[in-house]
Amino acid sequence: MDEETPDSVRGFRSTARGLHGPRLRLALSFAVLAAFLVLIGGCASRYDELDLTMYKYRDTRNLVKFVYDASRILSRDGEAGLSYLQSHRKDFQTEGFYLYVYDAAGTNLFHAGMPELEGKNLWDVKDKDGKPAFQLAVQAMKDPSNPHAWVQYSWWEPGSFYPVPKASCHFAVTTPEGRELVVGGGIDYPHEEPEFIRIVVDDAVSLIEREGAKALTGIADPASEFVYRDVRVFVFRRDGEMVISPAINSTFSQTNLLECVDEAGQKPFVQALETLKSADSVWGTFMAKSPYDTRLKRKTLYTRKRSCSRTKRST
Amino acid sequence: MNEVPPPAHILISSIQHLLLMVTSLVIPILFASQLGATQEFTASLIAFSLLAAGIGSIIQSVGLPFIGSGYLCPNVCGPSYFGASLAAAWVGGMPLVRGMTVVAGLVEMALAPLIQKLRKLFPIYIVGLVVAMVGVSILAPAITSFFGLSFRDDAIRSIDMLIGGVTLLVMILANLWGSRLVKMYCLLIGVLVGWTLACILCPEYWNDLVAAKGMPVVAAPSMGPAFGGITFSLKILITFVVIAIIGSLKSFGNLLAAQEISEPDLKGTDFAPIRKGLLADGLSTVVAGLLGGMAVDTSSSNVGLAGATKVLSRWISVAAGVIFVVLAFFPGLIVVLSAMPKPVMGASLIFAGSFMVTTGLQEMFSESWDARKTFVVGVAFFFGMSTAFLPSLYARTPHIMQTLFTDPLATSTIVAVVLNQVLGLDAVFRRLKGKGD
Repeated sequence: MDEETPDSVRGFRSTARGLHGPRLRLALSFAVLAAFLVLIGGCASRYDELDLTMYKYRDTRNLVKFVYDASRILSRDGEAGLSYLQSHRKDFQTEGFYLYVYDAAGTNLFHAGMPELEGKNLWDVKDKDGKPAFQLAVQAMKDPSNPHAWVQYSWWEPGSFYPVPKASCHFAVTTPEGRELVVGGGIDYPHEEPEFIRIVVDDAVSLIEREGAKALTGIADPASEFVYRDVRVFVFRRDGEMVISPAINSTFSQTNLLECVDEAGQKPFVQALETLKSADSVWGTFMAKSPYDTRLKRKTLYTRKRSCSRTKRST
Repeated sequence: MNEVPPPAHILISSIQHLLLMVTSLVIPILFASQLGATQEFTASLIAFSLLAAGIGSIIQSVGLPFIGSGYLCPNVCGPSYFGASLAAAWVGGMPLVRGMTVVAGLVEMALAPLIQKLRKLFPIYIVGLVVAMVGVSILAPAITSFFGLSFRDDAIRSIDMLIGGVTLLVMILANLWGSRLVKMYCLLIGVLVGWTLACILCPEYWNDLVAAKGMPVVAAPSMGPAFGGITFSLKILITFVVIAIIGSLKSFGNLLAAQEISEPDLKGTDFAPIRKGLLADGLSTVVAGLLGGMAVDTSSSNVGLAGATKVLSRWISVAAGVIFVVLAFFPGLIVVLSAMPKPVMGASLIFAGSFMVTTGLQEMFSESWDARKTFVVGVAFFFGMSTAFLPSLYARTPHIMQTLFTDPLATSTIVAVVLNQVLGLDAVFRRLKGKGD
């Protein structure tokens, strides 16, 4: 009988015979595992409504997701949600960051890293540079160009005493009971996200548009949100004359920025102005040298023009 | 080494090598992103770099009479040139990058005939050290990729560690316990398993693949206005000459390793194919400059893979080169290959790098050992590794040291060669004294 059977049919039968018993079970197990993995991979993410594409670093994206998750608990469960945070304190403090909740008046309701702050009003608390961290957070939440309400300031690590640079993001939450809350979380020693730079430069432009030349004093103030770590919003005119210096709190040394060259010999401001002829803003880079590194360090320069008032500002 | 395997075997093996070679495409991608370049610029730069690396691989391995080593030692975009090319781009744009790349290639070609004179400078045990350090030189990109990192200090995800771990384990087990065929394609099998796992577990990796959907299937690389012209600058000449020397040393190490793997019965080093290989390496860099691609270099990880699989036919390298040239005309495929998940990429580099390091160590200890060799190798190793562990320290050293002590490979090679000569002065003195007597 077998001799009359075509090869293809014989091959199929032998395959089918081979799949009986343990082999069949093994194949089925693989199929179930694959289907399970596909199911996991194909599930919609709860972060689908969050736009995180502007962040380069995973740490930054993780922090926004972390704070967003907590804000969802509070907007869904309100006061019960707050009790949940307090009874699951450890879940809201990871190695990299921790969660905090304030009411709109600046009273701390929950602090995963520093429980001793709970019940205290921190509205007027300032960091070592004079930045009122909570007030800046409230201001940032109203800022349309700062969708995750980032604030840059100095703080200290729980249980420690030395200052650490910090970047925190915030979500405004209205609980089912109608209470306004500020939910936030910060990352110590944050990565220098280009998005942070865009926010402060765009905010400076808005401020100048609203207040004119009066705004310049505020932008140059080291206690403002426009100066943090080694980032500083500065302003210069089309001819290269500085209005706010990129380095010091004065323009006593009238270096023309158009003449400045970086470590690779390029003129970053000339290049930026060239691009700004056909664009409103431009990202550029320049090379800096550190005495502690044999390689040149790449720095970012974001420039925006404001044609009506002869000023430009960059970091 | 010279046998021609069946076409199917050549194709699969060359794809296996190709998967390692595409990891170098990160260099033009990174270069373009540092310049804030447009997508069109990036696509052209990748295409021209592929063309240059493909042509270089063919010249290196096809067995031409006066040029090319004839070993399985393909060309890829060279990381050594990255910093210098970036500096050139800042000063004079792509025309200057092209010009200085041509100059560097010519320097490499000029150095090639001198390699025979280096026989005394590079005894077997120093050759072994150089080969081992070639493996060490891919450590940083291999490990950061294995942990799925695009930026060194960023957060590490457990899922990436799982993908990297499974990929590496599959490669190793396929190599150790697989049949002859599985052993030959162990890297390809590992990459396929790891890539599939990554796409299932992590939607991000699947989305990277989907990005290729909008790309044109076939498109000739176009030289946009940014690439036009070739210029030169004396200001950065020294930088490029130094990098060309270091690049030659690295290729020298790769070619020595390729020879060691391809011709294990050879007594001593045969410098003729190495000289021809260095000439091909230099010519490929010249071609890269003329075309508008990034400078190319011989690939350490592919030599390691050849050692791991014991598949050494040079025709595989030629086929991989041809595929690279063809790929330059298929932008969609370039995007797919560049989307290889980082942990899979890292596992492949660790797998190939392991063979480079152990081949070098075996070579080093294959001859009788004495205290002089201990100090030559030990001191060279200390200073070489110090450039990786303490990079900031070298920023405060005299300028000449900063120029020469750039990475573990270059530093340990220079220190070992100098020490070998200095500590061998007693033998020279004895010989001279003997002649005098």
